[in-house]
Amino acid sequence: MSSLVGFFSLVFAIGINFYLFLSRYIFKFQKQKFNLFIRFSSLLTLLSFFSLMYAYVVSDFSNYNVFQNSHSNKPLIYKISGTWGNHEGSMLLWLCILSIFSLFFSFTRNIEDNFQKLTLIIQAFLHTLFGLFIVFTSNPFLVNSILVNEGLGLNPILQDPGLAVHPPILYAGYVGYSIVFSIAIAGLFQNTDDEWIYVAKKWSLISWTFLTGGIALGSYWAYYELGWGGWWFWDPVENISLMPWIAGLALVHSLMMVRGEQAIKKWIVFLSILCFSLSVFGTFLVRSGILTSVHSFAADASRGIFILLIFFIVTGFGFLVFLLKEPKKSNALNLLFINKVSALVINNILMIIATLTILLGTIYPIIIEVLYNKRISVGGPYFNATVIPIMVPGFLLMSIAPILSWQTNKIRNSKKYVLGFITLSILVLIQSYFLDFNTWGFVGLLLGFWIVLASIIAIFSSYKIKINIKFFKIINPHVAHIGVGIAIIGITCSSVFQNELDFNLNEGDKFNVNGKTVLFEKIEIINETNFQSLRGKFLFDIEKNQSKEIEAGKNYYPVSKMITSEAGILHQWNKDIYFILGDQKNNEWFVKVLINPFVSFIWLGVIIMMYSGLIAVSRR
Amino acid sequence: MNRIFILTPLIVLLIICIFSLVYLLSGKDPNKPPSALLNKDVPIFESSSLYNAKDIIKTKDIKNKKTLINFFASWCSPCKIEHPLFFEIRKKYPELYLLGFNHKDPTSDAKKYLKDDGNPYDFVGVDSDGLIALEFGVFGLPETYLINEDGKIIYKFMGPITMDILKNEIEPLL
Repeated sequence: MSSLVGFFSLVFAIGINFYLFLSRYIFKFQKQKFNLFIRFSSLLTLLSFFSLMYAYVVSDFSNYNVFQNSHSNKPLIYKISGTWGNHEGSMLLWLCILSIFSLFFSFTRNIEDNFQKLTLIIQAFLHTLFGLFIVFTSNPFLVNSILVNEGLGLNPILQDPGLAVHPPILYAGYVGYSIVFSIAIAGLFQNTDDEWIYVAKKWSLISWTFLTGGIALGSYWAYYELGWGGWWFWDPVENISLMPWIAGLALVHSLMMVRGEQAIKKWIVFLSILCFSLSVFGTFLVRSGILTSVHSFAADASRGIFILLIFFIVTGFGFLVFLLKEPKKSNALNLLFINKVSALVINNILMIIATLTILLGTIYPIIIEVLYNKRISVGGPYFNATVIPIMVPGFLLMSIAPILSWQTNKIRNSKKYVLGFITLSILVLIQSYFLDFNTWGFVGLLLGFWIVLASIIAIFSSYKIKINIKFFKIINPHVAHIGVGIAIIGITCSSVFQNELDFNLNEGDKFNVNGKTVLFEKIEIINETNFQSLRGKFLFDIEKNQSKEIEAGKNYYPVSKMITSEAGILHQWNKDIYFILGDQKNNEWFVKVLINPFVSFIWLGVIIMMYSGLIAVSRR
Repeated sequence: MNRIFILTPLIVLLIICIFSLVYLLSGKDPNKPPSALLNKDVPIFESSSLYNAKDIIKTKDIKNKKTLINFFASWCSPCKIEHPLFFEIRKKYPELYLLGFNHKDPTSDAKKYLKDDGNPYDFVGVDSDGLIALEFGVFGLPETYLINEDGKIIYKFMGPITMDILKNEIEPLL
């Protein structure tokens, strides 16, 4: 029953959106009525999504999708998240979020009526395209042809609280760019005033903040669940999310720039189209199963071709409009040797180069396989060797960019900065001399600390310190950059100065980690409702009274016959001690211990960036 | 000049789409890498029968006859789907030797499975620790290999075989 409701409301919503799209050319109607239709179709899409969720919650195995991906033994939260833990459901979530964005946009005031309407028409067009994709190739409401009373279960690695919320947040970022895209295209068509730029800024900030959160959650999940001790693997799907993130960063910065300069409009339109194109491209790469990664779903060529077509139409349409309806010539940029405009232009260029580098690395295996019928994989070494050096000058520039002037070459308080930079360089150099010297470690630490320091100098020397909301809004760019600096410190330390220790142990053995004695207490096997867990219990620092207990092990999911690894992590502010329990051989357990310094700084940095993203949304 | 600049994204888009389309249409699946064992000698193996631990099969026992090797398990639902097809093959090609490897399965489960669904195999070898599958480069169950009289792997299929695959890909080789 719920499947029927879901399917019909989905189809009905697509019908309305198609009708709204046509209304641009034929059946024209008033804005009031138009908004009513948009909101109604959004509610229908929501209804469709929630009826799928309902089918999951009540374990309605007459729905083929629920049968394939759920199990009645699962805890409620994973029944709910099971809704988007599979291809069909996650595409419906995609559409649902698109609808929610349209819904909110239809309530936005302070924009011209025709402009709002045109934006929503483009949204309706996107809704129709993706809706048809779902109905024809990925229908989550198919009826199960056989009568069953139990489902096949959800992929065990998805049974995790972090991952339950990761897709919706990430999608909110991806799909949020659709509004930015629609606004930019509408702006090109109407070519009126520049009011749309302020509207676009808000939406692109919202999308970017969501995308940041989504990527960080996915990365944090990979850190503690995949059990490899790292948090970023240059997995194709990670790259796909990173591309719109960097492009979005360039977009957000360009939108800030508009306050001072008008000439950048063309560039903003380009970036707006690019961001959403990259999002759709990412959807294509993941959903077609064309890339192998932890995200692989069952591959299906017809799905791939359909969504490739959507990607082609959307991106082609976007750039074609851009080509034909180029924004009017505006006054030239006020480029000086070093002022705000030139710094932002350089940063934008670097970000685009970085995006293209990642794009190349991601699609290169496809090109090679088509041309030479050979399989290659492009991984960490390529990306580390190309993307990082491209970003470094950008980071350096970033540290002082917010205090540069719009009109002149002068930097206020330049002496303070020079002094600060020299002192810091010496300190970092001394530090890295006493620890083992590593070029990337040195560069990373210097950059990270310098960005933090320069931003703090800027805050203290440029503004009067007050504790109120307005003040926090003013210093927001600096705060965002402090977040980046802290993240860079965390990234550098955890990747360059990671330490790995391997042990073969019996229960009751003591071993030494980082100068502290650790006791391998025992192995425990516990039967949980939907899995069996094997845990090695460790007592860290047994010499002290408050020794800490760490559990590392594996879960075995009998329904899907899968084993997942569960790393045991002892979080300290300055390092994570990461335990991985390996296999048992000759009565000895293989235990790997990784010491990851300053990992917490990465998450702290990301949280600061997201905070300032939110603050920036509220700032006009 | 400016126009060319704006045209670039469209050109890049076209290139990406063409390559992706060719890739998709070529039926390649990145999850199913081409087997390095194709046209190579069958790996050396030794396995005991599911029904009689003293009954052993070795690589040299399948020399001089065409053999179809199928890796299966009672817990693998796609195996259940392809299972009836082996009876068809059995009927159509009585001279073909059907060798099943029971992969990481408790003996009792495997026996029950073959009792309920029937046993089409000439020999069911036990591969409880998955070492034979490792030698064959098995990626996921089920997987099927065709070995010619010279003991070379001439065909490999990952996933459940279907009527289409049997007709179009396996039968021409028999």
